[in-house]
Amino acid sequence: MASIQIIDLEKHFGEVRALSGINLAIDKGEFFTLLGPSGCGKTTLLRTIAGFYHQDKGDIYIDGELINNVPAYQRNTGMVFQNYAVFPHMTVFDNVAYGLRVRKLPKDEISRKVSAALKSVHLEGYETRTPDKLSGGQQQRVGLARAMAIEPRVLLFDEPLSNLDAKLRIEMREEIRAVQKALGITSIYVTHDQEEALVISDRIAVMNQGVIQQIGRPWEIYTNPQNMFVAYFVGKINMLTMHLEEGSEGNLRRARLGRLSLLIPAEGTRDLQEAVVAFRPEDMVEAAATGRKNEITGLMKNVSFMGSVARFELDVEGQLITVDRHRPREADMPRKGEPVAFAVPVESILLFDPKSGLRIGKGAQR
Amino acid sequence: MSRAAETRKRTALASANSGMPRNRFSLQHRGRQADIWTLVIFAGFAIVVVFLIYPLFDIFRYSFLDKTTKVFSMSNWKEFFSKIYYLRAFWHSIVIALLTTFFSIVLGIPLAFFTTRYRIRGTNLLTTLSVLALLSPTFIGAYSWITMLGRNGFLRLMFQSIGINLPPIYGPLGIVLADTLQYYPFISLMTAGALMTIDRSLEEASENLGARSVRTFFDITLPMIIPSVTGGALIVFMMSLSNFGTPMIIGGNYLVLPTLAYNLYTSEISETPGMASTVSIILMLCASVVIVLQQWMSSRRKYASMLVNRPIVKKLKGIKSAMAHFVCYLIVFLSTLPLAVIVYYSFKKTSGPVFKPGFGLDSYRQIFFDVPKTVINSFLYSLIAVLLIASVGTLLGFVIARKRNTAVSVLDPLLMIPYMVPGTVLGIGFIVAFNKPPVVLAGTATIIILTYFIRRLPYSVRSAASILKQIDPALEEAGINLGSPPGRTFRTITLPLMQSGIISGAIMSWVTSMNELSASILLYVGKTMTMPIKIYLSVADGYFGTASAMSTILLVVTGVAMFIVNTYFNRGSETFISA
Repeated sequence: MASIQIIDLEKHFGEVRALSGINLAIDKGEFFTLLGPSGCGKTTLLRTIAGFYHQDKGDIYIDGELINNVPAYQRNTGMVFQNYAVFPHMTVFDNVAYGLRVRKLPKDEISRKVSAALKSVHLEGYETRTPDKLSGGQQQRVGLARAMAIEPRVLLFDEPLSNLDAKLRIEMREEIRAVQKALGITSIYVTHDQEEALVISDRIAVMNQGVIQQIGRPWEIYTNPQNMFVAYFVGKINMLTMHLEEGSEGNLRRARLGRLSLLIPAEGTRDLQEAVVAFRPEDMVEAAATGRKNEITGLMKNVSFMGSVARFELDVEGQLITVDRHRPREADMPRKGEPVAFAVPVESILLFDPKSGLRIGKGAQR
Repeated sequence: MSRAAETRKRTALASANSGMPRNRFSLQHRGRQADIWTLVIFAGFAIVVVFLIYPLFDIFRYSFLDKTTKVFSMSNWKEFFSKIYYLRAFWHSIVIALLTTFFSIVLGIPLAFFTTRYRIRGTNLLTTLSVLALLSPTFIGAYSWITMLGRNGFLRLMFQSIGINLPPIYGPLGIVLADTLQYYPFISLMTAGALMTIDRSLEEASENLGARSVRTFFDITLPMIIPSVTGGALIVFMMSLSNFGTPMIIGGNYLVLPTLAYNLYTSEISETPGMASTVSIILMLCASVVIVLQQWMSSRRKYASMLVNRPIVKKLKGIKSAMAHFVCYLIVFLSTLPLAVIVYYSFKKTSGPVFKPGFGLDSYRQIFFDVPKTVINSFLYSLIAVLLIASVGTLLGFVIARKRNTAVSVLDPLLMIPYMVPGTVLGIGFIVAFNKPPVVLAGTATIIILTYFIRRLPYSVRSAASILKQIDPALEEAGINLGSPPGRTFRTITLPLMQSGIISGAIMSWVTSMNELSASILLYVGKTMTMPIKIYLSVADGYFGTASAMSTILLVVTGVAMFIVNTYFNRGSETFISA
């Protein structure tokens, strides 16, 4: 049985449609992420589950119980806030104990549970500290311990790492993931950081403009995006709107943009004169590697050295195409303004219908 | 609390959190089930209607009733605009307020600049003394200048003995002198605040680009403090315009609008207060214009930065340092002098109204034997008023900060009305409105307590709302999320976080209530007399000893309150100017 089920959820703020047609089923113990740009509705959805907003339409079930009319304070969802929301007038212990005291647990049980929660976030010995003596990362650990201590039916994370610095963010996400798996608590995690989402999640729902665009495992989302938005939002991708020539060459079809000519999978393109041809920077290869098939030539516009990767930007028919090269060597770097040639293997190509934005054909082969 | 109401609350909370416009959320789930906060909003409207709109409307109505025939007529208004007697008071009010504002700026800016930019010894002492002068009852300064520069004032006699005849103190000179030396701290404190929050690098950038320091002051520093100076100037103008005590005591025959309204009311006591009402409305209109200007000014851009680089405090040497010290100490000395004189006189031996050589506690003894009730009244009334102010103010402040809906956005500006109602006007409004059914309160302690309550309410509501704006709504959400119902969350999370702000605000309310004169003097009867009223009457009757002793008690109370707010609540001088 699904731990959380959401059916046909809809929410408006005045004239603005914040959520529409939301359907979700999240399994027990699953780490589920809501990913999308700011304003996409992911936080609204999370806050509706927590009970801070009330939906205009639709149902929310937790563990099979319909909670539409359960007030926020009775929903037993443990929320971890973006700005920590650690009570500044209480010690670390009192913060973590707050929810347990509300539940009127006996004293010794409270202190046992607080200790366990603090231990799992590596904050043993901090019980008597006040929040102003803690770093941002430590405050967020208190926030996490406090939410876990009440043994909620679901943990809700509202961009919990966005106020932390880059290194700590990576450390903390590993920790959150480890704690969540150890306790097996169903979790919903909101983020706009696609890398964070790929790393931490069992499954991801990509959202845009109040609508779920795609739900899938991180691999599926990345390699098999169902529409242009998902392809564009998760990872980096080149997109060219190309004219399709009549007739096919076996299971391939020829697409043109100015002097650029590419062979693309023909499947599903029969009724189209145009298609959006998309491929990821890391799938681009040296022109020689494909025997100059699907060659893309252009002038080097920009070279950025990023450490493990060098990123090239080529001017191809007036559009910028990004190419990543791994393990770059300084001696091999092309110069700005130099003509260069790369190729895109046909099996790396994703096609989209330019009108609907929907995917055509199979996913990319990895 | 019902779920719908709960949701409504959360919605308001969230909108503050997400930075989206609040009104977008404000109409949601409107008016479903009643909860405690609906009750608070309703009570807010009831207070406004009964204690503000009703009395003010009554004044308005009386201004259009003919005094003898008691039918609708424009006769009062015609009389006001045709008789020089009335127009002169209007003109006097404007002149006094303008002069006071001008001289306050002249004193305030140098004091602010020197104490924030140069090393002046004893800056804290200077600030404390000027705040004490600011918070002391308005009439004390006036009365003290009379003892110094009145017909037989010791300073006048001193100057006479060396052949200098000072101009008479009764009239405009005395009012402007007393007003300026009381109100200039508004300018100096607000300007000092602005000077301390200008990012040092802006002035450094100007010098780096080749500007000399004088040019930097005029091109960079001055434009950045102008919003604060004008803000302070408008407050000074407003305070001076609506001040009743000072012109009453030291004004002589020089009438300004508040004293004119008071005189008219007391002389019209047997008829309908037509002229007093007309003058009240004119006074209120003037005050409203200033308030509107002030709101407009404060909504404009302020330049306060996040204090990345505090300005450097320069150390002056030799003659420059001596001059800067002299200016600062002279200003503060002049404003503290009247207070010191009062305290000095309170310990002089007396015999009836006259002072005798030597020192003693005669004046205090007289108070405690003759009029202990007055002292008790003052403490009791202001204490009850403060309990009301703090609790009602906090609840209404919470509603305004956290529960935006249509009703609240109507209530919010209504609660600010007392800002623009001078005490004299409120007093007249209360006496005309509550002297007849359905509500008869004339002559009771209740009406005086209510005056304190109403006059102070906007400050209390504002302060509670601004405290709440600094408390992250996510903290309350966290409480709710952890299973705590809204009431318990308010009690265990919100209230403890607001506590110190509420208490320090309440202490300031207590001080202003203790010192209230302009409204209560219209409303008191023998058994509800308070210390400020007794002081005024003693001065009028020439019992300077009693007046000094009572004034000293009020000064001590003011000083102790300031000390508590400063030490225990760690609040800076901003608290005092916002009070």
